[in-house]
Amino acid sequence: MRLRAQGLVKMFPGVRALDGVNLDLRPGTVHALLGENGAGKSTLIKVLTGVHRPDAGVVEVSEDDATWAPVTFGKPQDATAAGIGVVHQERNLVPRFSVAENIALQSMPRRHGVVDKSAMRALASRCLQQLDLHLDLNRPVAELSVAQMQLVEVAKALATDSRVLLLDEPTSTLTSQEADRLYAVVRRLRDDGACVVLVTHKLDEVFAIADTVTVLRDGRSVAEGRALSELSRSDVIDLMVGRSFADLQPDPTPPKDRSGIAALELAHVSTSVGHEDVSLTVHPGEIVGLYGLVGAGRSELARALLGLDDITSGSVLIRGQEARIRSVADALHRYGMGYVSENRKEEGVFLEQPVTRNVAVTVWRRLSAWGMVRDRSESVLLDTYVDRLGIRISGHKQLAGQLSGGNQQKISLAKWLAADCSILVIDEPTVGIDVRTKASFHTLIAELAAKGLAILLITSDLPEMVTLADRILVMHDRQLAGEVDNVAHDYAASSRQVVRYMHAEHVA
Amino acid sequence: MGEATLTSAPAAPPQEDSTTPSGLPWWANPRVGLLVVIVALVILFSALRPSFLNVDLTLVPMQADLSVFAIVGLAQLAVLSLGHMNLAVPRMAAVSAFAAGLTYDRLHAPLVVGLAVALVVGALIGALAGTIITTTGVNSFVVTLALDFGLLGLVSLLYAWATDGVAFAVHPAGMDALRFDTMNNYCAGPVCGPPVPLVVPIALVTVVAVGVLFRRSRVGREMLMTGSSLRAARLSGIPVTRRIIQAHALSGLLCGLAGFLLAINNGAFSATIGDQFLLPSFLAPVLGGTLLAGGAVSVLGTVLGATLTSVIQKGLNLLQFQLDQLQILIGVVLLLALSLDRVRHVLAERRGVRR
Repeated sequence: MRLRAQGLVKMFPGVRALDGVNLDLRPGTVHALLGENGAGKSTLIKVLTGVHRPDAGVVEVSEDDATWAPVTFGKPQDATAAGIGVVHQERNLVPRFSVAENIALQSMPRRHGVVDKSAMRALASRCLQQLDLHLDLNRPVAELSVAQMQLVEVAKALATDSRVLLLDEPTSTLTSQEADRLYAVVRRLRDDGACVVLVTHKLDEVFAIADTVTVLRDGRSVAEGRALSELSRSDVIDLMVGRSFADLQPDPTPPKDRSGIAALELAHVSTSVGHEDVSLTVHPGEIVGLYGLVGAGRSELARALLGLDDITSGSVLIRGQEARIRSVADALHRYGMGYVSENRKEEGVFLEQPVTRNVAVTVWRRLSAWGMVRDRSESVLLDTYVDRLGIRISGHKQLAGQLSGGNQQKISLAKWLAADCSILVIDEPTVGIDVRTKASFHTLIAELAAKGLAILLITSDLPEMVTLADRILVMHDRQLAGEVDNVAHDYAASSRQVVRYMHAEHVA
Repeated sequence: MGEATLTSAPAAPPQEDSTTPSGLPWWANPRVGLLVVIVALVILFSALRPSFLNVDLTLVPMQADLSVFAIVGLAQLAVLSLGHMNLAVPRMAAVSAFAAGLTYDRLHAPLVVGLAVALVVGALIGALAGTIITTTGVNSFVVTLALDFGLLGLVSLLYAWATDGVAFAVHPAGMDALRFDTMNNYCAGPVCGPPVPLVVPIALVTVVAVGVLFRRSRVGREMLMTGSSLRAARLSGIPVTRRIIQAHALSGLLCGLAGFLLAINNGAFSATIGDQFLLPSFLAPVLGGTLLAGGAVSVLGTVLGATLTSVIQKGLNLLQFQLDQLQILIGVVLLLALSLDRVRHVLAERRGVRR
């Protein structure tokens, strides 16, 4: 079965998630679907699997490449019935059910209204055989390894006779041996005539296994089913990013004045979450980066600084004065320090509240008289930041949850700017944000520093770090492993040093 | 700096909906629906039983009932704002009413002092519930359920200790006036007031005060933000622990007021005060469109919800329905309202709140 989509458009309030996507999935191929976060991959998958209905465009299938039948999916079961299977990034197995039950879940064989156990087991074992996988059919899925679960998910997709199989980041939780195993299965499925669509961030894997590629950028397909053999790695990156890496050329900035009193200083700080002897300073106008592997303890340090975890020894000085911060309220009202959370949807914004309240929440004290908030001043405040940050909203009462990720992030930043914070801790500001909004964020952060804010920036995006930070502190296992002077903003030089510190086993 | 950001922003997509961006179209507004149903029922009942419009027989007692149940609804609404529940509404009211009764009985205090005592006691019990919830982190459902059970025992012990039965015999000065008089009894020359019981203005003031609290005040808004997302509230510098305790204290205070007013309406401070409060406390706010999930409340809706409940109760009463049939019906109404709550959620999600 060959499946193709033309001109797919899917709109959400405030954003065109898909804006003209073409896709051509031929049988017997492994097709990579690439794109940066926010490019529209997840929306495309949801359209193809019947979770979302497209606002425009057609999806068609053909058995012989000559006659095309349009298909519409009202619900996920329709896509399953049409032979499209999906293995989502997050697990969709019932942990207490057996391997056989999980595999057969969507196509449970029935006889006289009850489950036909022997037919179910036959179906499950046929699917496992197809994958060359030997598993006890009666074992509860909860007892399997992560990799085995992943393969059971694939088997589950096969049980519904999927001829187009979508794998969303299938190897993100697998070791490289386990990934190899999975890819062996993928090759076998391809050779059997299926089309496997691979959504991944790992370019190595793409070049190792995929035949063709579709690249999405800002909701459009910028490469449609091109053969990977004619593309180089940097071609693919260029297609995804839409700009050449020229942006990452050195862009030196003058060193910041560090002679005055530091806005924020940590002196030999240890925390209840395992940090030991961490010392750092951030001066007004400076962007200090905190880099490290996931789990190195960067966000945890920020949270301890804000009183969400305990500081067990050492001291925190704000503008030279010893500070005792027991909550974000303390940090905000007594010390003028704000925290832009890495977890936008759960901690950064109130999804079900109007944008006005999302921005004004930190300054209601200032906007109120006799304990009553004036709506008018709230609106004025919002308008100020809508202008300054270029936030796109359809009205003051629009719910934050209806905005795109980038606009939500701007709202989450705006509330601290509204509160006149002089110190900002910014944690992963551009995760899940499209490339252009990302660039505007970088401009914005640099401008805030230029206005004299002291910024402690936490990000796992090394190019972003090198673009923005004046100095990069590398954290390794909850201790500072080294400091990189980054005023040259030279990606090649700085990243090399950063990586060296990151992997240092012992710190002097 | 505006230029850099603005020019790099993608072209604005067309907005799909022209209705209010946050809410639903007006016909899906639960308050409009409630009003229509109330009017329809009033017409129906008065057609079937003309005595439904009788002032002394129906309208005056109904207003007195309604005043109590609107406040009971607000007591639940206060914690629904957080996404919490208060299952101790009945006994918070009972203990408060006991405290007021005791004040009259032993101290022969004037009416208003007993009211103040009821409010303070209610607020303190509420604050206690809030404190337990914030310090232990146990779900409000469990905490208030246990609290209600404990207080139930306490109430009967207290009445056994303080009275020779299950009620105080005392009648403070002014109690009967508050119970039986309407504004019609008070005249300025030839012009007399409307046939409105004296408890109604008390309820009205309360409704307005709670409405202003949640709509305009910083404290009320911070409670709603806390209910919307506890983590985001904490990380936005809202003193969430304090707000949670305050919301529960407010709930307790309103229970105290409801208990006091019911005792006035019944003519006695007795152990059974509050017994019938639990279901109506949810019925009124939920019918009125307050979300169980927290973060949004409707005070006006709660009043309408309480009105609907009172109209149904009175009407079916006049049609000589039995009490048990009535209970079945009220239960069904609550289930329908809760399903509607869910439907609204789904509709809101369809409108693109991204999670």
